[in-house]
Amino acid sequence: MEPFQTGAFLTAGVLIVAGFWAIIMMDNLLKKVIGANFVGDGVNLVLIGIGYKPGGLIPEVTPHFHASAIPSTFSHFLAFNEFAELASYPLPFALVLTNIVIGASTLSVMLALSVVLYHKYQTLSVQKIFEAMEED
Amino acid sequence: MFDYILLFVVALSAIMAIVQENLYKSIVILGFESFSLAAIYHFLLATDVAATQAILGSALIPGLFIVTLYKTTKGRDE
Repeated sequence: MEPFQTGAFLTAGVLIVAGFWAIIMMDNLLKKVIGANFVGDGVNLVLIGIGYKPGGLIPEVTPHFHASAIPSTFSHFLAFNEFAELASYPLPFALVLTNIVIGASTLSVMLALSVVLYHKYQTLSVQKIFEAMEED
Repeated sequence: MFDYILLFVVALSAIMAIVQENLYKSIVILGFESFSLAAIYHFLLATDVAATQAILGSALIPGLFIVTLYKTTKGRDE
């Protein structure tokens, strides 16, 4: 495994542990939402790090590949098998691109529910919200 | 070398954003962490993901947090 890939996995581990610590231990609701955002970031970083190849081509923007190019006539074009050996693995990129947008939308729903809870209980502290719920 | 520094910056700013007491500072550090994460995606050869993360993570999500914080602290300060 490459050193930068290992570093990316370690950073993702720090992000996931810190996010779960915030979700479980913090008292403020907004801190819990920030922790959930960090967990999502860590999972995205793991998925991107799987597809990394050091010195590889970028699959989306590379100018070296055309599907119908013949490598003998166009010397700067690559054949498909050469391109597939050099490029990084592009499947997690599509997955993570979807996951970032879904994460942003679920985060906005969480924030909206926090605003609703604040309008009902006049506080964002989870401890005080539980005490007020037991009094009802 | 710069990419390893960015990995360290992301891990450190995640911990700082959680430990921070002031919520506005915490949200600003959250946006900084998202932008550094977008740069890491660029170094990991995922440029499209980097563009999406830079737009959503450093502009939209801190904006939503700041709107939420404004709506939940408006009555308390007065």
